[in-house]
Amino acid sequence: MSSFIKKLFGTLVEKPWEDSQAKIDDIHQGKTFKGLSPQVSAVIVIFGVSTVLFSLVVTGYLYTIPGDQDTMFLLRPNLLWFNTFVLFSVAYVFRKITKDLLNNDISNIKKNLILVGGLSYLFLFGQIFFWFQLIESGKVVSTNSYFTSFYFFTALHGLHLLGGLLFWGKTCSKILKLENKEILKEKKNVEALSLYWTFLLVIWLVFFLIIYVFNDAFIAWCKSLIS
Amino acid sequence: MSDDLNIKKSSKIKTKSSSVSGGGTDIDYVRPAEIPEQDLYHGHSFITKWIFCQDAKVIGIQYTLTAVFTGVVGLILSWMMRMQLGFPELFPFLTAESYYQFVTMHGMIMVVYLLTALFLGGFGNYLIPLMVGARDMVFPYVNMLSYWMFFVAVVVLMASFFVPGGPTGSGWTLYPPQAILEGTPGSEYGILLMLISLSLFVIGFTMGGLNYVITILQARTRGMTLMRMPLTIWGIFTATVLALLAFPALLVSSIMMTLDKVLGTSFFMPTIIKAGELLSYDGGSPILFQHLFWFFGHPEVYIVALPAFGIVSDLISVHSRKNIFGYRMMVWAIVIIGALSFFVWAHHMYVSGMTPWFGFFFATTTLIIAVPTALKVYNWILTLWRGNIRLNTVMLFCLGFILTFVNGGITGIFLGNVVVDVPLSDTYFVIAHFHMVMGIAPLMVIFGAIYHWFPLITGRFLDEKLGKWHFWTTFLGAYSIYFPMHYLGFIGVPRRYFEMYDSPYVTSAVGMNEFISIAAFIVGAAQFIFFFNVVKSLRLGKRAEKNPWKANSLEWLTPSMPPEHGNFGEKLPVVHRWAYDYNVPGAKKDYITQTTPPSEVLGAEVEKT
Repeated sequence: MSSFIKKLFGTLVEKPWEDSQAKIDDIHQGKTFKGLSPQVSAVIVIFGVSTVLFSLVVTGYLYTIPGDQDTMFLLRPNLLWFNTFVLFSVAYVFRKITKDLLNNDISNIKKNLILVGGLSYLFLFGQIFFWFQLIESGKVVSTNSYFTSFYFFTALHGLHLLGGLLFWGKTCSKILKLENKEILKEKKNVEALSLYWTFLLVIWLVFFLIIYVFNDAFIAWCKSLIS
Repeated sequence: MSDDLNIKKSSKIKTKSSSVSGGGTDIDYVRPAEIPEQDLYHGHSFITKWIFCQDAKVIGIQYTLTAVFTGVVGLILSWMMRMQLGFPELFPFLTAESYYQFVTMHGMIMVVYLLTALFLGGFGNYLIPLMVGARDMVFPYVNMLSYWMFFVAVVVLMASFFVPGGPTGSGWTLYPPQAILEGTPGSEYGILLMLISLSLFVIGFTMGGLNYVITILQARTRGMTLMRMPLTIWGIFTATVLALLAFPALLVSSIMMTLDKVLGTSFFMPTIIKAGELLSYDGGSPILFQHLFWFFGHPEVYIVALPAFGIVSDLISVHSRKNIFGYRMMVWAIVIIGALSFFVWAHHMYVSGMTPWFGFFFATTTLIIAVPTALKVYNWILTLWRGNIRLNTVMLFCLGFILTFVNGGITGIFLGNVVVDVPLSDTYFVIAHFHMVMGIAPLMVIFGAIYHWFPLITGRFLDEKLGKWHFWTTFLGAYSIYFPMHYLGFIGVPRRYFEMYDSPYVTSAVGMNEFISIAAFIVGAAQFIFFFNVVKSLRLGKRAEKNPWKANSLEWLTPSMPPEHGNFGEKLPVVHRWAYDYNVPGAKKDYITQTTPPSEVLGAEVEKT
């Protein structure tokens, strides 16, 4: 981060019209961040945009916390823990894939990529199943702002995951057609996908902790800030 | 994630970039290209070439045409509004309901669907790859999707004119709870279509914005450092970053309000009793919507203004044959204004109720923003100072921009202060302020930019005589509309009133309202001079030679004009300098293009700035 800030401010004080600067500028390759592929850059930008999006949803939740939250149903041990575990597993398998790619070990890439997709769909089905459980117990989207925020956030998160699965499908179908030795050509796409899934996990964990695991403590803390 | 997936093998072309620069001497040395060439999809049929096209230039033109179409609709709506305000009850179809619908649609169309789409989608797409020396955007397929998403958003918005109840009439800010409650025009289908359209717009824009940012950061040509980029690109880049961070607030609030309307959630809806009946809403906060809306809404002002700042800087420099005064300060000002724009949103909410400390904070940040903004104005004037000014249509529009922007900016300083804003809030003073600063001023730049880049796009000049008529009518007409509005605001004429009836405002305002309305009709009609000029010049305009304005930036240095798909032919250009070497002492010509190697201008020495 500090090198990024240094780079940014270093760039902004350059004097492009001076001869000494021109000599340095003439050998510039045209890329601001050398190691970043366009695919990974795209994920980072999406990361930024989506972080704002999710932060605003959480802000909305905090702004409209009801006085009497009926969170009893959510507070029972339930499917959410299992879903979180599944998402962790996806991130773990992705990490394995990128590690293998780094070491040019391509023997398990295809298998693991399919596993990633399977686990992601399992997470999605788990979330939808949890919705049904909620609805059955009478906690619908309009029950109170707690449940409204819960449904809204999980829906947005699910849509992000579906978007990721679209690109996963494209990359996966391409890789499955390739000979093992050619898989390395798709390294950048797989790296980008892996980063995206890490982002989805981080976002989910933050939400999970705020609205579920430490729900009451977090609300009490927020109220103490206001008072 | 990758557009590679959409490339047909059969239509792939590989182009090679130069490994060394043309000069051949040591001082011209450039490092061999390390970044691989981009594979481009070339359309062959009419549909892939002109409709579902992946060439950023065509997408830019598609954005422009669609945005201008919405702008004409917005213009016609403004005529209707002025008709009612100047000559009340002259036309029976202008009811209170339709007036509010016209106000709402006019505001939203002009701010989002015209100005934002035109600056970022139109100019951004056309100019970014050309000015940074790239063959196209990094993800051309996603770029194409971005336009079509925008197109669908416009179709959905326009569809709201034809649904039962018509479009929403809740004001362009769409404040709940009234926006979705019975009694407000279009509260059934109109508001839903508006919210869906805005959501589609944001999703589409994010696809485009992703392209603009990554192309500028990661796909520039050799030698093109960030600080060698023309200010147009700095303006578009910073505005895109703002938009990427601000539009999620619009998306979230649109989805939340849609849920409030359709599923009965209560994000923005407090407990409400309607006609003695308790509605099912409970616990929501209308103020939350205002915060979300203005967290988007204020940066939106700069999303429009920053590209305008950048473009006008380049136009002034080219047409006064002088390097831009204080290039670094201009870049800093763009970045600082962009950053500050996220800390001023609540100055739109002084009358909504907030602690005095909040008001103090937001007034302070608002006034601080005036510093880098004023710096830019000084630098434009100092660029003109002792310049070899060509007083053509482009320059006239630039000068018009400076005047209208300073005018609107100064009234902004009035309104930024809480104590001044409270009495002026919801009066015509506010209307005058924001139309000057983000209506007329950016439009001046848009017209200047079109007159400037029209030869690049079409190979022909726009007619100068018609252009000057267009400018003077628009400029003087716009002043005739908005200058009197400041006075109306001072005497307390409220905005958003369908008719003043027998209020005390009528006596002193009636003549002035008639005058403003007549001026508005004339200014609106004057825009058709421009449309006529475009159509006429496309066929009969004077042919432009290559680089007709003798400019330095890369978009003028393509092998063919208009540039073809891929922009730069066989070899990508190599950049040796910034874009502002005009009238350099010791140089043979009064301009040195960005690709001119040092060996060709040995005696030239740039003046310190």
